[in-house]
Amino acid sequence: MERHLSEKHPPEKQLSNVSDSSDNRENGTSIATTLNADHHDHPETETCDQLASPSLKAGVKVEETDNTSHEIEEVDQEEKENDEKIEDNPPPEIHYTLETVSQDIDQFITALSATPKDAKETTVEESKDEKMSMEIPVFVVKFLDLVEEKVAKHELTEGKGKWGQNPEEDSSFLEAVNRISKLTSSLDGLRSDPNHAALISRNGGIQQRAMACLEDEFRFTLEDIKHNDQDPNTDAKGKQHEADRCVVQESESSVTDNFLGYSDDAVSKLNRIAKEMIEGGFESECCQVYMMIRGQAFDECFVEIGFEKISIDEVQKMQWEALEREIPLWIKAVKEYASIYFVKELKLAEAIFSNYSSISSSLFSNLTRSVLIQLLNFAEAVAMTKRSAEKLFKFLDMYETLRDSLPAMGALFSEEYENELKAESTTARCRIGEAAICMFCDLENSIKSDTGKTPVPGGAVHPLTRYTMNYVKYAGEYIATLEQVFREHSKIERADSTSRPRYESESQNFNNDDDEETQSPFSNQLMRVMDLLDSNLEAKSKVYKDISLSCIFMMNNGRYIVQKIKGSTEIRQMMGDPWCRKKSSELRNYHKNYQRETWSKLLGCLGHEGLQVNGKVIKPVLKERFKSFNMLFDEIHKTQSTWVVSDEQLQSELRVSITAVVIPAYRSFMGRFSQYLTAGRQTEKYIKYQADDLETYIDELFDGNPASGARKRP
Amino acid sequence: MPATENQPSFLGRISIRRNQIIAMDGNHEQELEDLELFQRHIGDRFAELTSPPDNQDSPFSGESFLSISWLRKLVDVLLCCEAEFKAALIMGRDPSQISKPPLDRLLSDYMERAVKALDICNAVTGGVDSIRECQKLAEIVVSALEQKPIGDGQVKRAKKALSALMSASAIDDKENNHPRYAERTWSFGRRGNNSGGNHKDRTNHGSFRSLSMVVAKNWSAAKQIQAMSSNLAVPRGGESTGLVQPVYIMSNVMVFVMWALVAAIPCQERSGLLTHFQIPKQFGWAHAIIGMQEKIGEEWKKEGEERDEKLEEAAAQVAELAEICQRMEEGLVAFTAADQRGVS
Repeated sequence: MERHLSEKHPPEKQLSNVSDSSDNRENGTSIATTLNADHHDHPETETCDQLASPSLKAGVKVEETDNTSHEIEEVDQEEKENDEKIEDNPPPEIHYTLETVSQDIDQFITALSATPKDAKETTVEESKDEKMSMEIPVFVVKFLDLVEEKVAKHELTEGKGKWGQNPEEDSSFLEAVNRISKLTSSLDGLRSDPNHAALISRNGGIQQRAMACLEDEFRFTLEDIKHNDQDPNTDAKGKQHEADRCVVQESESSVTDNFLGYSDDAVSKLNRIAKEMIEGGFESECCQVYMMIRGQAFDECFVEIGFEKISIDEVQKMQWEALEREIPLWIKAVKEYASIYFVKELKLAEAIFSNYSSISSSLFSNLTRSVLIQLLNFAEAVAMTKRSAEKLFKFLDMYETLRDSLPAMGALFSEEYENELKAESTTARCRIGEAAICMFCDLENSIKSDTGKTPVPGGAVHPLTRYTMNYVKYAGEYIATLEQVFREHSKIERADSTSRPRYESESQNFNNDDDEETQSPFSNQLMRVMDLLDSNLEAKSKVYKDISLSCIFMMNNGRYIVQKIKGSTEIRQMMGDPWCRKKSSELRNYHKNYQRETWSKLLGCLGHEGLQVNGKVIKPVLKERFKSFNMLFDEIHKTQSTWVVSDEQLQSELRVSITAVVIPAYRSFMGRFSQYLTAGRQTEKYIKYQADDLETYIDELFDGNPASGARKRP
Repeated sequence: MPATENQPSFLGRISIRRNQIIAMDGNHEQELEDLELFQRHIGDRFAELTSPPDNQDSPFSGESFLSISWLRKLVDVLLCCEAEFKAALIMGRDPSQISKPPLDRLLSDYMERAVKALDICNAVTGGVDSIRECQKLAEIVVSALEQKPIGDGQVKRAKKALSALMSASAIDDKENNHPRYAERTWSFGRRGNNSGGNHKDRTNHGSFRSLSMVVAKNWSAAKQIQAMSSNLAVPRGGESTGLVQPVYIMSNVMVFVMWALVAAIPCQERSGLLTHFQIPKQFGWAHAIIGMQEKIGEEWKKEGEERDEKLEEAAAQVAELAEICQRMEEGLVAFTAADQRGVS
């Protein structure tokens, strides 16, 4: 090609060029001289001289003009003409192969790139002149012919997965592309010389075609993701495969999975192609293909996990039941992206773009960023939904996911992205955390607003107690997270926050006390909840007209609370021994009050005083005593067997304590006074119960069974 | 009203009512003043946007209009207005006022709009990303065409990137994705590739990460704008006092800024955007906004056609250039052959 141009010029001009350059050469160092050192003594001599030069000894075959290539007919033709033209000169026809000519090209490139730097910078004009003078050796043209032929062959087969079938051919193609690229940059300095324009243009054209081939092959290879077919076992497992991935990743057997479904061969091919594309200045094309295909692969991961993109607006409008189903999928998505996909994606990018760490890290960051933003958006959207206590635990699940999964990811990113990611995930975590605090604090409101005046029949456990305590017990399973949430997010006072949880100021007060310093804001809040519940229950107990029943109500609820607290080690620890002791003594007090209220009057009937005057038992009084005892006991039995104590232990405690008080007193009263009643009719009339009967009846108390009654029995 | 019970007389009632009116007047005056100030600030801020101080002669024609930096300012204005609105809404106010009708309903509508605005912001972020991709393609085109002297290879490279860019912007925007355009992109791409050699080019289609799923399936930016503005009724009569006006104004500001963002930046589904939002003309604060909206509307109408035209023009030029290169090469070969024959 170079020849065409130079020959286009009239001979005079060529001559003047030559003479110019020779003058320059004498003036000092030049490209030409350097070139000379390698190839020939006189740059102005005919190109055929170069062919005969000693540097071209290896692999040069003497042969007829190469006519095998149809693709480059024109060149052949022109070649022939050249041959004709240089017939006078001794050197014969030379057959080049890519291998032989490549060495020369390498030397040529080295020579070409060795010089221009000084020249370019110091004396631009001069160097220009020098370059003008430079002749391009004929093997360059020959080389281009050969590469073009190769490229043409590749253009016919590209995209059909032909690569890899003949590794030697692949390597040779890549090497050829490498030389073309180097030639491009070496020839860059000669750009201004019209003599070389055609050569440069041809080289550029070949480079573009070669790069297009590489790009297609790069795309084809990237698209060819082997999902499960490498491992037939996983096909059947389907989704379970996902869950197993962590394990699989560790086992050495699955080599393919290390690169997200690409074989090691594919990765090394991609690596080599990427290298040539980047070095040839086609970085943008390469990165674009990479971004597109890996981006799609990422989207497919979403589909695979089953997590769908939902707009913030939609999230607000979703029923909680529906949203609740999305949250585990989100959690799964975050965990899998964080622990598997991102790690592998980075590994893949680093493997393909090895030696180009800035490219791999920016590609990776751009790819993952949108995925992460998408995931964090969902978290923030959920945090924006209407707050309600039932959502707390799902929120805490999300909080834990954000807390545990994202920081590990930070290391994968460049500093800039890591900071952005940190900021974004912190915001999302804060929103979730703040919402969680509000929800837990909302427990206060639901307790306060429960002002119903309808007593629970039989003094049983109030629904509010059940609700609150089950909630608290469930919270116990999240206690570490809750403590963290309260500690980290209750202090944040956002500018737009109008309702700040109240406990904050109080926890400040607590902190002033040395004793309370160790208490966490969450335990303070929990205490508040328990206190509120207590006072609410106390108010509710007043609804019962019967003091005994209100005692039973308090015992029932108190017992329930204590049992729930003790049922959760974490909560038990948080509430502490003093609280438990206080609770127990309260319960004992209610028990005592109950005993006094219900049974002291009955025991009054069994008192000895007033029965005897001067050592003589007054019978009518005795009869009256028995009568009222029977009546009172019947009454108590009738009412209190409808009362409810569902806690078996409490129930038996109550019965035992009643028995312990009533039975001995009755026995002794009977033992002492039954003899004064006339056996038979009188005894039958006044002594309705034997001690054993009483025990049986006492065991019927607190059964919540209105049907049973003493009257039925004889 | 315990006072009324104590003084059931007619006179008493009058005096009480008078007191009430006076009290209300005081409040009302303050409120009017606040409202006045709020409106003026909004008007000023948008007026400033339409005429940047450094470019007063040509307020709209300046390069900055709808540029990224201008949009940034627009979003800043939104945030400023919102901060002032929030202050007006919350500060020194009895919270119970907000939870009473009609404010409760108006504010919950406002919140809903704000949520939709967040989705739009996300979609716009996706749009900005896609513009970045387009920019990269455009950079390939430019850098290839900048080479001097330009050769066959550069032209083909530019052509490849350009056709990718064209199909990207065709996918990008359903509004402009009428069949004529899409088809032309296709045929251009094909023609280009055929002349460029026998390798097919899959870059054109699907090379671009489609915008269609940035927010959610079937989500539409245009529909969101429509939903945001559909329940935006001008306050009437007794309603127009108190906080009702600021909520109305702020809603308009928010919808307008979102509308402008969607209009300026490729977004998931924008068809019919122009007709979805109109600001009533009677308000002083709205003048600058209405002016801006009209201008953006014109740009929008123009933009589609113009961009198509310009891109196609560029594509045609590059195609021509490719042809010239091809011919030159052919011609050169012929010429050289002849020349050589002559010489020998």
